[in-house]
Amino acid sequence: MKIWVIAEQKDGELRRVSKELAAKAATLGDVTVLRVTGERVSAAAAAAALAERATSDAPDLILAGATPTGRDVASRLAAKLKRAYLSECTDLSIDGGSLEVSRGMYAGKVRARIRAALPAVCSVRPNAFPLADGATEPAVTDIAAGAAPGLEFVRFEPTASSGGRVPLSEARVIVSGGRGLKGPESWSQVEALADVLGAALGASRAVTDAGWRPNEEQVGQTGKTVTPDLYIALGISGAIQHLAGMTSSKVIVAVNKDPDADIFKVADYGIVGDVFEFLPAFTDAVTQVKRGS
Amino acid sequence: MRLLICIKQVPDSTTRVKVAPDGKAIVTDGVTWSISPYDEYAIELALEQKDTAPDTVVSVISVGGPRTKDALRQALAMGCDDATLITGEGVDALGPLGIANALKLAVDDLTPDLVLCGKQASDDDQGFIGPALAEALGWPHVGQITKLAPAAGGTEIFKETEGGHEVWKATGGVVVTVQKSPKEPRYPSLPGIMKAKKKEIPERPVAGVDDPVKLEIVKLEPPPARGGGKIFKDGDTKSHAAELAKLLRDEAKVL
Repeated sequence: MKIWVIAEQKDGELRRVSKELAAKAATLGDVTVLRVTGERVSAAAAAAALAERATSDAPDLILAGATPTGRDVASRLAAKLKRAYLSECTDLSIDGGSLEVSRGMYAGKVRARIRAALPAVCSVRPNAFPLADGATEPAVTDIAAGAAPGLEFVRFEPTASSGGRVPLSEARVIVSGGRGLKGPESWSQVEALADVLGAALGASRAVTDAGWRPNEEQVGQTGKTVTPDLYIALGISGAIQHLAGMTSSKVIVAVNKDPDADIFKVADYGIVGDVFEFLPAFTDAVTQVKRGS
Repeated sequence: MRLLICIKQVPDSTTRVKVAPDGKAIVTDGVTWSISPYDEYAIELALEQKDTAPDTVVSVISVGGPRTKDALRQALAMGCDDATLITGEGVDALGPLGIANALKLAVDDLTPDLVLCGKQASDDDQGFIGPALAEALGWPHVGQITKLAPAAGGTEIFKETEGGHEVWKATGGVVVTVQKSPKEPRYPSLPGIMKAKKKEIPERPVAGVDDPVKLEIVKLEPPPARGGGKIFKDGDTKSHAAELAKLLRDEAKVL
């Protein structure tokens, strides 16, 4: 079994999801970790180079991280090779000549097991195959991007509020805020908690629609589906579209003043109370607990 | 400028999805069908181009059975100029590359300058059709975009990515897949609805397209039930907060 991992780099290092996939692939067969060199290479240019190599190398399975770039490249490559593509997988196994994956459908309202004939291409969610501590860095083979005329990278426009946090889809801990936080000014307190936890910031649709937070922080249908170890929902009532996006988190904490809020139906720990009383007290408590006292 | 939007009809996002007893499909009785949410954002993005450049022609296309016409009519009512349905026997069994190839043939005939798809349909959540259509056309594609802007010699395309937006410029035909953008899709106007009712929706046959990839659904199931969590209802929020931090470390082991 020949398996390729299409690796991505961030800040000069291999992304965690790429390492996770390399480690998983090693349990399934012979792994080649490939990295398309160059900054902001278009999906078509990356796929062109990978497809050319695939013709001679004939991998049975190609894996990429389910990141904005990873999904673009993996789907394009699958189309180029005329192979099955399975997006945002959370588990996968090989049985003879076929691949079986687990993935969400209907924005997380359904879990599906899907089978496809090999060779196939998958994008896999970060954290689907947690990396063991002290895992060795995989060897990476660089390949140059191919040609793809008609599209050029112009510039990058950073979001003002994004400074230095883990991407939402890759975060182990997420602190997410809803309408119960009353306004954008409350986020200084949310950020203080996220800093202590090393968490990414999330938000309900009501919050991003109101412009309190950028769209990219939205969790749920029309936003991101997330599966962190710990999801803390602050002042979020739990609309079905939001629940769909976070219900597969390992541990869910909810704080809401309405005891009947739907978010409590999925919570492992809930506090019915004032989120503004909770936030500073909890931030202090986490700081102390993390110090080991 | 001619824009073409590929849309899919899916269960409305407010639907409580139920899995059929055989575990191979969902229960469709009583489901309200809508345009997939990201496709609606794509329609809005295209109509905004038409708002600023009224000579823009906005076409919409879908692949599906007879009820798919309701989705196309909805798009016409929002302000799209014309609609096409790719349909016929076997249309529901078509695999992803078959759909992309069927759309490719339509693009050859309709000759749009730019094709928009939602970034993924909200039923299978795959996001394969847009890139596969681009590949079939030999065009570049940009995924997860939130904005289009005319630029010298082409179109600027804003791709949402981690920490901000990548801006790309397409100088020829391009397929974009659309992410949720700050502007909500417009509602159909009453005159729009009246006009849409009268419009012909031409059909194209699906027969004979190359369809090399099939996926098999082994099992669908609802996510594991949750609940029965520890809920602190009464008492002092601050002391609960302190207790919670300890529980997360010692019991849940996530701190």
